[in-house]
Amino acid sequence: MAIAASAPVQRRRINQARFSPWLYLAPAILTLVVWIYWPLVDAFRLSFFQWNMLPTSPQTFVGWDNYQRIFALPKFWQALRNTGIYVLGLLPLAVLIPLALAIYTHDLSPRLRNIYRAIIFVPMIIAPVVAAAVWRWLLDPNYGMVNALIEWFGAEPVKFLSDPKVAIWTIIAITGWKLIGFSTLILSAANANINPALLEAARMDGASKWEIIRDIRLPLLSSSVLFLVMMTILLGAQWSFGYINVLTGGGPLGATTNIYYLLWDFGFSTMSVGWGSAAAVILFLGFGALAFVLFRLIDRYSFHDN
Amino acid sequence: MNRKSFLLGALALAVSTPVLAQMAPAIDQPVTITFYNYNLASAGLGGQATQNLIDEFMAANPNVTVEGVPYSSADGSRIQADLAAGLPVDLVQTVFSDLDFSVTNFGAKALEDITTDGELEAHMAGMHPNGTKLGVLNGKTYGMAYTFSTPVLFYNADLFRAAGLDPDNPPQTWAEVKEAALAIEEKTDAEGFTGGITGPGAVDWLFQGVVRSNNGEVISRDRTTLKFAEPESVEAVAMLRDLYDAGVYENYDYSGAMEGMASGHLGMYLQTSALQGSLVSGAEGNYELRATTMPRFGDKPTRPNNSGSALTIHTADPLKQRAAWELMKFLTSEYGYTIITSQIGYLPLRPAIVDDPKYLKDWIAEHPLVEPNLEQLDRLEPWDPMPGPNYRQVVKTMMDAVEMSIFGGADIEPTLIDAQANAQALMP
Repeated sequence: MAIAASAPVQRRRINQARFSPWLYLAPAILTLVVWIYWPLVDAFRLSFFQWNMLPTSPQTFVGWDNYQRIFALPKFWQALRNTGIYVLGLLPLAVLIPLALAIYTHDLSPRLRNIYRAIIFVPMIIAPVVAAAVWRWLLDPNYGMVNALIEWFGAEPVKFLSDPKVAIWTIIAITGWKLIGFSTLILSAANANINPALLEAARMDGASKWEIIRDIRLPLLSSSVLFLVMMTILLGAQWSFGYINVLTGGGPLGATTNIYYLLWDFGFSTMSVGWGSAAAVILFLGFGALAFVLFRLIDRYSFHDN
Repeated sequence: MNRKSFLLGALALAVSTPVLAQMAPAIDQPVTITFYNYNLASAGLGGQATQNLIDEFMAANPNVTVEGVPYSSADGSRIQADLAAGLPVDLVQTVFSDLDFSVTNFGAKALEDITTDGELEAHMAGMHPNGTKLGVLNGKTYGMAYTFSTPVLFYNADLFRAAGLDPDNPPQTWAEVKEAALAIEEKTDAEGFTGGITGPGAVDWLFQGVVRSNNGEVISRDRTTLKFAEPESVEAVAMLRDLYDAGVYENYDYSGAMEGMASGHLGMYLQTSALQGSLVSGAEGNYELRATTMPRFGDKPTRPNNSGSALTIHTADPLKQRAAWELMKFLTSEYGYTIITSQIGYLPLRPAIVDDPKYLKDWIAEHPLVEPNLEQLDRLEPWDPMPGPNYRQVVKTMMDAVEMSIFGGADIEPTLIDAQANAQALMP
């Protein structure tokens, strides 16, 4: 009896051993499939269709039409160029200035340091649309405070948002202003994590303050810096979306439009899911290739203390 | 689609669709309808006046509850998203440029099909035919003409005086606009002129009227071929470019222009008369605001087209259709137009109320601003909606090229020809 019963029990154990890990993993896998993989695959499929998401209207297969139309947009190339300007313009604001701030505030007394970093972090937590509205008032050519100051110095008021040559830099500055706090926080944390023994040793060897920064701090911060560079390149243009939408609508003359804004504008104004998906696929492939290169660079150039 | 599957589809449709249902004869039980309205979404553009009208209607029809849904006219995706989500979309204030898309995709009902005999004709009696014909597409009335405006040249009479111009003889042609604007730029520290022709939110309604006034058109009468790169249109754009090159056409966005007018820093502003309300409140105590008709090209009479909207019924429920129709009738009644004209600034599409002391007569005597708008009603032409699923992209492609040609230093003709070829490829 006992022998007869043990076989099914054992099989059940084996079955359990085989399935229970999957059972535990199921919620996570299911979430990934439903929210990430399936939409990804479906976006590829929909990019070959013309459809406006209404259940009543048919999905029409149009082949490569959506892609051709996007590449034929006269503004597409302007937007691509602008995306490059956004990234280049944001790099100093999102990486260089925070790096300097992180290193130089490190030597302040803890109390002052925390107050200073809290102040610099505040823009980060303001809702983008609110921040944009406030900036619009500040920059207004007729009654804005910034222009009042400029006029007080005797200069002509600047049309920060309506001059095509200036507008993109205005948006970059506002986006960067929001980012400085976040980057400073990350770099400060990395800076505080540097083993004090290394600094101590360098100091005993007679290294000057600048030599310590150059030879110890910067190499040890390199992986964080490269991470921030990658974030800025991959996402920088996206972070400016809210300000473009509220402040300029991509104008004047398309001067502030970037690739994300353009594709949203053309893809979603009629909920044309084909345009939107084709645009998403183009971005996915383009930025995927860029990310691949950046990851290789990070592996190669970052320096770890181990 | 091959012919066989088309025939099969047509057969399936014919079998499955019941005989066209007409609306219920009366509202004998409580009913709730949704009313998607873009005026409700904006405080400066008659939000309160619209809500008051809805409230009055509900007070007079206790069985009907109207849920106003504010939406942005620049972005029809709210309606699309709600329809896709299965939410009830019963009555919509549809911008004319969206009418084609709305009929094809949002199931707007032809009023001839759902009203009972004679009801539609009876209600439309007394309405200006130039208004009612705008809601007609493919021979049927899908939209009841609702809020209409025409392009009006608003001007600051104080600046005119300061510049040595006669505010009683405002510019009537584009050449005179240039002259007046030059004088304003020279003798005052204000800007001369701007227009809501380009920019986000402008769509193409004002541009269509400008091109048509030069006897061109942006799209052929059968709405299959784009024509905005033809000589008449190129000439119209070149004229605007000349204003910009002369330094008198400021490239303001909408809020910049409104601020400019309100602060007395802008001489002339060509814009929809619907903004009259907010311009008046900006001018009060500041400067004397006046208005004249849209400028013409030389001797050619202007051919303004309307901006604005029609009311479209989307519900298939007979009782809701009746409720929506009753609301529609109330809003476009003599009384409805009295409120719409006096409190928002749209045209009264029932011209008789203008001389009727019961309605607008006294108000118009006190508010001469509305006169150019009324005068242009007799010459009103339709704002042509672009066809097909990519209609908004067509408009954007066209208007981007126009903007680049006026302000961006682009070569006008090649830019427009290029854009026209690109946009034509997006047409059905």
